[in-house]
Amino acid sequence: MKRLHILGGSVTALALLASSAFAEDVTISVWSLDKETQPAYNLAKEFNDLDNGIKVDYRIVQFDDVVTEAMRAFATGQAPDIIAVDNPEHALFAARGAFLDLTDRIAASEAIDAENYFPGPLNSVTWDGNYFGVPKATNTIALYYNTDMFEAAGLDPEDPPETWDELVETARKLNKPEDNIYGIAFSAKANEEGTFQFLPWVQMTGGGYDKINGDGAVRALEIWKSLLDEGLASPDTLTRGQWDSTGTFNSGNAAMVISGPWELNRMVEEADFNWRVALLPVPEEGAQRASAMGDFNWAIFANTEHPDEAFQALEYFASQDERLFPDFGQLPARGDIELPPTGVAPKDAALQVFLEQLKYAKARGPHPEWPKISKAIQDAIQLTLTGQKTAQTALDDAQKRIDAVLN
Amino acid sequence: MRSRRLLNGYPKMKRLLSSVTDGKGFDILLVSLPLLFLLAFSGLPLLYNVLMSFQEVDIFSLGRLIRPFIGLDNYRELFAAPEFWPIMWNTMLFVVCSIAGQFTLGLALALFFDTGFRGSSFLRGLFLVSWVMPGLVVGAIWNWILSGDFGVLNYLLTSSGLISENIFWRSDVDYSLWAVVLANIWLGTSFNMILLSVGLAGIPKDLYEASELDGANILQRFSTITLPMMRSTIGAVISLGLIFTLQQFDLFAAITSGGPANSSNVAQYWAWELSFRQYDFAKGATVSTLMIITVMIAAVLYVRSTRHEVRI
Repeated sequence: MKRLHILGGSVTALALLASSAFAEDVTISVWSLDKETQPAYNLAKEFNDLDNGIKVDYRIVQFDDVVTEAMRAFATGQAPDIIAVDNPEHALFAARGAFLDLTDRIAASEAIDAENYFPGPLNSVTWDGNYFGVPKATNTIALYYNTDMFEAAGLDPEDPPETWDELVETARKLNKPEDNIYGIAFSAKANEEGTFQFLPWVQMTGGGYDKINGDGAVRALEIWKSLLDEGLASPDTLTRGQWDSTGTFNSGNAAMVISGPWELNRMVEEADFNWRVALLPVPEEGAQRASAMGDFNWAIFANTEHPDEAFQALEYFASQDERLFPDFGQLPARGDIELPPTGVAPKDAALQVFLEQLKYAKARGPHPEWPKISKAIQDAIQLTLTGQKTAQTALDDAQKRIDAVLN
Repeated sequence: MRSRRLLNGYPKMKRLLSSVTDGKGFDILLVSLPLLFLLAFSGLPLLYNVLMSFQEVDIFSLGRLIRPFIGLDNYRELFAAPEFWPIMWNTMLFVVCSIAGQFTLGLALALFFDTGFRGSSFLRGLFLVSWVMPGLVVGAIWNWILSGDFGVLNYLLTSSGLISENIFWRSDVDYSLWAVVLANIWLGTSFNMILLSVGLAGIPKDLYEASELDGANILQRFSTITLPMMRSTIGAVISLGLIFTLQQFDLFAAITSGGPANSSNVAQYWAWELSFRQYDFAKGATVSTLMIITVMIAAVLYVRSTRHEVRI
C-alpha cells in the first residue's frame, strides 16, 4: 500500500514536470522562400536559439508556390503562424481576413515603428487603413549603364539620360548591331515581371494600375514598341525575365539595362567593364518620379494559436534589419537605417541611387485581385509589342478588364 | 421468412467463396483491385474537376466541396474570352503537327533500324536518351538552342546561308508555337520509334517472303503488309501520342511560357495559368474538362478502330 502511494506521488511529479515543460515551449511555424544564405532562414534559426520558450519550425517554400501553398494550407486549417508573401499578393489574403490585423500590436511595439518604413512597402501591407503585416525587405528598379560604352560613343557618363526621349536617343547612339550590342535591355515578359517594369512608366505620367490607358501610358508603351521596332532592344525582351536580360548587359551585349539591386553582387563579379546606376528616366524634365517596388512582407495568419509569440518573432526579425544589407545584400524597407559602405566602389555608388529611387517606389495595388489586374496589363504590353494591337487599343482593352475587376 | 432467406443465401455465399480460389471470382478480385485504385486516384479527381467547372470557386473555398453552383457560367465566360479560339487552334496545331512529326520520324527510324545493319540495336538504344530526359531539362536545352541572339540554331542557319537575319524563335509570334513543336517532336520521336520497332518485329517474316515470290515491290509490301499488320500498334502510338502531347507542359513552361501574347499558348498551359497564376481555379477546371472530353472522343475512336483487328 505504501509503495503504491510513493509510485502515485512520483507520477504526479512527472506530470507536473511535463506540463511545465509544455507551458514553456510554444512552437510557431514560419514559411518563407529564403534559403540558407538568405535572411529569414538565419533569423528564424537565431530566434529559435534565443531560449525564450518559443521554438521555430522553419520551412522553405519555393517562390512560385508561396500563394498556392498558403491558400491550400489556410483552406484546410493547416496554415503556418507566420508567412513571407510577395507584396502585390498581400492584399489577396488581408482583404479576406486570412491575415491577422497587427495595427494595435505595431502601435504598442518598441521594435517596430510604422513611421520608419518607406511609404511604398508600408502601403503594401495596409488594407482598409490597418496594417496586416510588416515589410520584410524591399527593392526597386533603376537604369544601369556601361560607362565604357558611353565614352566610346562620345557620351558623358556623368550625364546619363534623364527623360524618355533622352533614353531612346542614348539607346540609338549606343546600339551597335554589327557588334551584337543592343542599346538597352529590359523585360516585357508576360508575367509579373512585365507589370513590374511597365507600371512605373505609367505612374510617372500620373496614371496607375486603375488608370492604365492615359495619354502618358500610351506614350510609354509606344516608346517600348519603338525600342523593339528600331532594334534598340532584343526581340527576346518579350520572353526574357529581368535576370536574363541583365545577363546580356553583364556580358557586354547591351549598353544599358533596367533592373534592380538584386543584380549588384553578380554584376560586380561578372561585368569586366565600368558601370553605374542612374534614376529611371522620367517622361519630361520636371515630371514626377516613380519606380517599382518589390520584395516580400511578413504576415501572421489569422487562425494562429500563438499570435503573441508570432508577433514576438516578427519583432525580432525587424530588430535585425540593420544586418539585411551587410550580411545578405538585401535592402531594408526602412528609411531610418544607415547602410554602411561595402568597400566596393561601384556597388556603394549604386546603392545610393537605389536608396534615392526607393523614395519614389510605389506598391502594385494593393488589391485582392491583383493577379487579374496584372494579367490585363501584361496582355496589353504583349499585344502591343507583337504588333497585334495599337498601344491605345491594347491599353483601352486592359482598362476595361481592370474596371471589371475593380467594380 | 427471414431465417429462410438467410439459409438460402448460405450456399450461394459458399459458392462465391470457392469461386475465389478456383474460378471467375479470382479474376474479378484481381481486376477489382486496380479498378478501385483507378477510381480513387483517377476517377474521383476527374469528377471533382468536372464538378469544379460548374461552381464558383473562390481561392479560400478551395478546401470545400459545397460551393455556389453557377451552371454553365464558367463555360460561357471561357468561350467569350478573346484568347479562347486562338488557344484552341494552337492546341490543335500543336497536337496534330507534333504527332505527325513524331510519328513520321519515328516510323522512318524504326524501318531504318529494322534493316538490321551492324550496330543498329546499339544506335536505336542511344536514340532513347531523348525520351529518358525530363521535359524541363529538354526545355532548358532547347531554350538555348532556340535563343534569338546567341542561339545555336540561328548560328547554324546563318552560317549555312539559309537565313540572313536571326529568327527570334521564342519571341516572334509567327515562330513561337513552332519552336515548342520542334522541341516536342525531338522529345517524342524516340518513343514512337521504339513502339513501332516492336510492332515491326512482330510481323512474321514469311509474309514478306511470300509476297516477294508473288512479285510485290517494296512499296506494295509496305502498304499491304506492314501497315495493316501494324494497325493496332499505330493506333496505340497515335493515341499515346495524343495523350502525351496534350500533357506536354514542361516545354511550354521552359521555352515560351505560352507567349508572346498567347501565340504559343495551348489548353494545358492555359489551364495551369488560369488556376495557378490568376487563381481562377474554376476556369482552369473548365479548360481541363474540355480537354477530358477531347481525349475521351479520341479514346472511343481508338477503341473502335482496333475492335476489328486481325490477329495472327
